Amino acid sequence: MSEYPVRRDPRKIIAVVSVCVILVVATYAAVTWWKPRFVVYTYSSFLDWGDEGAEVVLERAFAPFEEMYGIDVEIILLEADANGIISKLVAEQSNPVADVVIGIDNILILQEEARSVLEPYESPNLSLINETFVDLLDPDHYLTPFDFGLVTLIYSMDTINTTTHPQLGNLTFADLAAAELASALVTENPNFSSPGLSFLLSQIAVYEKLLHQDWTTWWEDVRDDINVQEGWSEAWEVWLGDPTKHLLVSYGTDPAYSADYLGTAPDTAVATLAYDNQHWAWMQVEGVGLVKNGPNPELGKAFIDFCLNASVQTEIPLNQWMFPVRTDLTLPSVYQYAIHPDEVSVLNQLLDRTEISSNLTMWLDTWTLTRTP
Amino acid sequence: MNSRDLVRYAVLAFPFLLLAMFLLYPVLVVTVQGLYSGTPFQEVIASPYIQFVIQFTFGQAILSTFMAVLIGLPGAFLVARLRFKGKSLVKAMMIVPFVLPPIVVVVGFLQMFGANGVIDSFLMWILGSSSSVFNLATGIPGIILAHTFYNVPLVLLMVSASLERLNPEVEESAQILGADSFQRFRRIILPHIMPSILAAAVLTFLFCFMSFPIVLAFGQGTYMTIEAQIWTAFRLFDYGEASSLTLIQILITLSLATAYIRLGRQENSTGQTASIRTTSFSKYGTVERLLIVLYLVVVAVLVIGPIATIARAAVFDPIAKIYTMEGFVNLFTLGNQGGFRYLINSLFYAGLATIFAVVLGIPLAIAMRSRSKAIPTLASAMILLPLGVSSITVAYGLVLAIAVPLELVTNPWPIIVVAQTIIGLPFSARAIEIAMSKIDPALLEQADSLGATRIQRLLFVELPLLAPGILVGGVFAFAMAIGEMSATLFIAVPQTYTLAVAIYDYLAHRAFVEAGAAALVLVVVCVIAFLIMERISEGSTGGAL
Repeated sequence: MSEYPVRRDPRKIIAVVSVCVILVVATYAAVTWWKPRFVVYTYSSFLDWGDEGAEVVLERAFAPFEEMYGIDVEIILLEADANGIISKLVAEQSNPVADVVIGIDNILILQEEARSVLEPYESPNLSLINETFVDLLDPDHYLTPFDFGLVTLIYSMDTINTTTHPQLGNLTFADLAAAELASALVTENPNFSSPGLSFLLSQIAVYEKLLHQDWTTWWEDVRDDINVQEGWSEAWEVWLGDPTKHLLVSYGTDPAYSADYLGTAPDTAVATLAYDNQHWAWMQVEGVGLVKNGPNPELGKAFIDFCLNASVQTEIPLNQWMFPVRTDLTLPSVYQYAIHPDEVSVLNQLLDRTEISSNLTMWLDTWTLTRTP
Repeated sequence: MNSRDLVRYAVLAFPFLLLAMFLLYPVLVVTVQGLYSGTPFQEVIASPYIQFVIQFTFGQAILSTFMAVLIGLPGAFLVARLRFKGKSLVKAMMIVPFVLPPIVVVVGFLQMFGANGVIDSFLMWILGSSSSVFNLATGIPGIILAHTFYNVPLVLLMVSASLERLNPEVEESAQILGADSFQRFRRIILPHIMPSILAAAVLTFLFCFMSFPIVLAFGQGTYMTIEAQIWTAFRLFDYGEASSLTLIQILITLSLATAYIRLGRQENSTGQTASIRTTSFSKYGTVERLLIVLYLVVVAVLVIGPIATIARAAVFDPIAKIYTMEGFVNLFTLGNQGGFRYLINSLFYAGLATIFAVVLGIPLAIAMRSRSKAIPTLASAMILLPLGVSSITVAYGLVLAIAVPLELVTNPWPIIVVAQTIIGLPFSARAIEIAMSKIDPALLEQADSLGATRIQRLLFVELPLLAPGILVGGVFAFAMAIGEMSATLFIAVPQTYTLAVAIYDYLAHRAFVEAGAAALVLVVVCVIAFLIMERISEGSTGGAL
């Protein structure tokens, strides 16, 4: 027997490893080789809040479109929110792959960057919807309205109600600033979350336009008590899990969701803001937009038209928990528990579009400073 | 210059060219564009908020580093000196925090330290309280604790590896000469391990300095690191601010990284791995045993606790409150609905990235050991750049400057592999460099005098001797690659998600068992890789750091 171990030629080992690697890489590249012809970008939770999940719903809603045009629609659910999607579109500006983007809202579209990646398009199907949505979202038609929701405060009726806290029936920011309610309030960071930003703009609108006061004073008052979470999911988690948190900045459809989930009357209620003998809420309108210089502009336009068809719009209430912009469609019965747009005045009307767009960055910076120790 | 030199220089230049193309160029494109068209640099640093962000970034990193060293140090002595069964398993487990995507750590922390978490429930039960009494998983305590969790293993592995390199004869001689244990510690052990403690501290500081998802989750928008603020700036389209902050960050991290490399050099000169003297638990006195047990309890709560809650999360559905195997079923389901493709993607990208990190790491390591003055400095700067450049900026730059022109946006897996290679490269290059420093130069001279060509010497002498070091570096690169989330998240589309990104996605959709199961599989894959490495490299894991 040899005293030395058999010497393996490293060249052989390297050659074998190289061949294996090349084979694996080639196989992976071949298997995943696909080039979608028509791409739609949206955020990850799009139509994903129902019992069936997004995959099934999207297939059902858009299959007729695919048949009509003989193409595969690739709806890419990006793990990002609307801001993240616009960032991506800005990065891809020189060679866009997406044709359509869904989910940009009425505040985001006021920013120059969002407009810079979109192409205005006036859909003939706009005749199917109420003009107010177009005015609220974007009179310049960079976006076509898709759905809307009312951003407001919700509370769990198991912990508080209008008997224990009568102010919930006619809520003001002054009520919310009292230590008891302020320390029970959870909201979202307006830098990262659209309901959080809607809430900030609601507060600014009330203070600057209805009360004629400096809006930052309220944030100074609640500074040590209010709980600010990164996004809506995190805020919901805290509101649900922490027994000391009763109030959450969320949507007016939450009682309907609760009723649907429980199969009984809801355990969640809405507390709208009350000023000047009116109830107020912020209306968030989400839209569909045509990507500028996208590969298939004509298909993109047809897709936007298709989004206003009943087959798509009827999927919205139970899968997105927003109202479809087609108000002529019948809503599911649980929507009796939601607050409806005719029950409130929209706070958006208090803030001019140009006022928002020119002040937004300043407001956010100022807000961030109020949160800085 | 003859042709052999030319080949040599070409081989050495190869990794530099690739890094220049896939790291420097994209980052430069983004920052130059941002600085030209966005908010000017002076305005950004003049903002009181940005100054607060910079101060906070430093403050939390210093505090976290202090905590990690404080808790890691006793563990390093225990691992090096105590003889116990399953030591290699414990050492392999130590690496788990390294590969856990931060979002998983956040979940583990909430369940362990948060309101109504494990500790809180226990305290509520003791105090008979019906409301939450304890919540450390928020604000500054949450950030510091999570950073400590991440970096205790780092300190532990690096310092214990250094302790194992201390020749026991030195200590024995001191003992014979009448030095008591405190004198031995002060005069012999401490000077020996000091460079490794400092190196571990600098690396910990770097990681905490660059921290992003943890700060975002626990900071509640009040506390931001520079990295988190860069992300915010990109989201709010403030490219000037993002670029300015990227620049500030690079300046700070590169000076730290240089310090780290210097410290590494110092320690390497102390020489070969020695056979360390170990003691069994029974040899210790009562007080020492008590302290050891107390220490183990602290580590168990801080490091093992969050991991254990993740294991539980893999099988416990918190909404339905039942135990289920759904998460694992999902993970091995093929097709668009299932998670199997994420597992395959993860293994494929991380495997490929590891191979690249090793192939590029070898010439970089050679360059670092070059006798000229400029080349090693350049090589060190190049490999540490990935640790010090905002991964958000890198990802944005890769999309902007590479993926978009090459039409890789809808199927960006090559870009993900590039990003993961960059993340792993510092670890592979360093492990290989350390292995090189341990090669006896006499062996190479013998090969030369026996007439071996340069290529023969490399293939038949150097590579076989380097094999364990390459393996150690490879496994570290693999761990970094498979756990990478921030950059992959920005680049990937759902078809190319990795497990780490999928976990984030599952959590966002409240699919908790799916997220838990994916996290557990990630942990198991990495522990297996480390066990194999420990076996082959005979326990010199910490030396790679």
